[in-house]
Amino acid sequence: MIILETRGLKYAYPDGTVAVQDLNIEIMKGKKIAFVGQNGSGKSTLFLLLNGTLKPSQGEVLFHGVPLEYDSKSLREIRRSIGIVFQNSDDQIFAPTVFQDVAFGPSNLGYSKERVDTCVQLALEQVGLSRIKDKPPHHLSGGQKKRVAIAGIMAMEPEVIILDEPLSNLDPVGADEIMDLINEFNHFGSTIIISTHDVDLAYRWSDYVFLLSNSKIIGQGTPAEVFKDPELLKKAGLRQPTTLEIYHEIERRGLAYGRNSPKTIPELVNTLKPLDLMWVEVPPGVREGDNLNLGVMYGEYATQSPYEAINATVLHIHSDGRAIVELKRKGIKAGGVLLYDTDSYSLPEIKQIIKEGEIVFVGAMGKKSKILAEQDGVRLDVTSGVIDKSILMALCGKRCLILTAGGMVDHALKRIKEYVEKSGIEFTVGVVNREEGCPWLEESGNSPETLKI
Amino acid sequence: MTNILDDYALMSPLRHRNNWLKLAIVLFGLLAGVSSRSPIPPFFIAFCMSFATVTFGKAPLSLYVKLLLAPLSFAAVGVFIIAFFSGSGPEILSFELLGYPLDVRADGFELALLVLARSVSGMCCLYFLALTTPMIELFAVLKASRLPESFIELSMLIYRYIFVFLDMALSIRYAQTVRLGYSSFRRSIRSLGMLGSTLFVRSWEQGDKLFLAMNSRCYDGKMALFEVHRPVGAPELLLTSAYFLLTLALLYLTKNASIV
Repeated sequence: MIILETRGLKYAYPDGTVAVQDLNIEIMKGKKIAFVGQNGSGKSTLFLLLNGTLKPSQGEVLFHGVPLEYDSKSLREIRRSIGIVFQNSDDQIFAPTVFQDVAFGPSNLGYSKERVDTCVQLALEQVGLSRIKDKPPHHLSGGQKKRVAIAGIMAMEPEVIILDEPLSNLDPVGADEIMDLINEFNHFGSTIIISTHDVDLAYRWSDYVFLLSNSKIIGQGTPAEVFKDPELLKKAGLRQPTTLEIYHEIERRGLAYGRNSPKTIPELVNTLKPLDLMWVEVPPGVREGDNLNLGVMYGEYATQSPYEAINATVLHIHSDGRAIVELKRKGIKAGGVLLYDTDSYSLPEIKQIIKEGEIVFVGAMGKKSKILAEQDGVRLDVTSGVIDKSILMALCGKRCLILTAGGMVDHALKRIKEYVEKSGIEFTVGVVNREEGCPWLEESGNSPETLKI
Repeated sequence: MTNILDDYALMSPLRHRNNWLKLAIVLFGLLAGVSSRSPIPPFFIAFCMSFATVTFGKAPLSLYVKLLLAPLSFAAVGVFIIAFFSGSGPEILSFELLGYPLDVRADGFELALLVLARSVSGMCCLYFLALTTPMIELFAVLKASRLPESFIELSMLIYRYIFVFLDMALSIRYAQTVRLGYSSFRRSIRSLGMLGSTLFVRSWEQGDKLFLAMNSRCYDGKMALFEVHRPVGAPELLLTSAYFLLTLALLYLTKNASIV
């Protein structure tokens, strides 16, 4: 379903500079959209056009298929439904305290005092800032300011959230937290639009990409489509995403399977073609090109996970009955990733899971879970890029636990399951403290009845 | 991060106490101090307020003393002059300086002491307010005192943007300094002028951006102000009333007392 659409949109500043021209875009509901372009390519102007702050010189913007009106009542509706987070948080935060700034939007919507209060509390809790709600903005760090700005928009419960350069001036951990947050909103159904010139971010995060250059759309499509075209990228003044570049180089050398576009490091690892050759004795009658089932191996023969089912393709048969085969390994009992929903949190339970589940790697996603873990002294091995790193650990046969909360649980579950499906490498994924329980604890017979999960 | 009094006030544990109670304490202290005829009650008030600021308010003692010293030096000059050049009672001290006779008389001395006591107590009261009540707590008080809405909104915005522009000014100044903008007097004047003009233009732009930001969150000409409800606890009430009663008793007892 199309939620936001422009038709022949053109905007020129009063001095005649054309900022946006001939723009026809369609944005689908519930998607993650990235506008990628150099500085000054017209991204920010486009965003102001989308929420009705600027009025186009030509063409129109349609929200839910209805053209925008520019009277104050319709504009209120639009701005309530389409929230913008500015690039510079200082431009956006103007109230003397965090609480009052976040409350600004909801109170403008005419909510009662109690409702404003709950909205603000909820928004602050989601961005993990409840504890500093009485602080003035000039006592906050850059990342905290950004989260206040996002909370201010969230508190109005918009359908579309537009973020202009959400990660500029943030440190890696801060940036990761913002992305987790954004993904969570997306999971709850918000359409997210960001602008960025970070091709890596756009490539790995978005569902759909628009390339902007010189105030025009010069390319659009899924990130895999858009970013594989070097000519297009050159025209937009951008470079290829790092993972893709590395992948292409590896592929050119014949070390990876072709025609992939890995977005994350686990996916990149998965494209690698292992040059796994072995001498084996073959029964007579086997010919070159045949497939052999070598059965399950473990110990030093299993290189990627504790147990591997190994198939082999015969490449060459020697005269003495031995053959060179290329091995194809499939991990049987790889590690796994467990998710723990910190909305229902108990420290003894976590300790028990870590101990009895033989978990060696613990990560936390989201500010709330990180704070909880820090308070209770749960040692965290990773706090940024948690999903990717956990997948990588699981591939090496390790068992991981991710502490997270709310929509991020489902988001993480979805991403890991997608990986399992795509890669064909089986490892356990599950949410521990939910009804479906913890798969491997039951499997391995670690007396599930005492666990009471 | 702690450069100004407001920062100390923000971190003070007394920040989270009832604002009206604090205001009442300060007002009472000011009035009682000024209306006292003996220097003892004002000194008592000054002591109590300082104690409260440093002990309950957790203001650093060294900072507090430094803060007090500044106005105290002015007061000292005044007190000195009053002590030597007024009064007509019995002499308590006299000497000659370069052939010019100087003497301190009893009532002059008493007056000087009273002036000193009153100014110190006033200062301590105001510092108590300044070091325990940040500006952001006072907006609610301003609102309750029926000041015009637009005045309060403006002051809220101004408060916020003071810090934005302060940051901006500091970074511009830094940028100028690293390129030797302040290496001579002439250049300093020039750089300062540039700083001022840049700040002006920036604040103009910031105004535009502010309007944009407020509009995109459905601004309708009214900025709501949410007052945090802070009930007065029993210990605070007890302590305050004890302090009030003691001060009043002192006021009464020292009504006609003379210390010289």
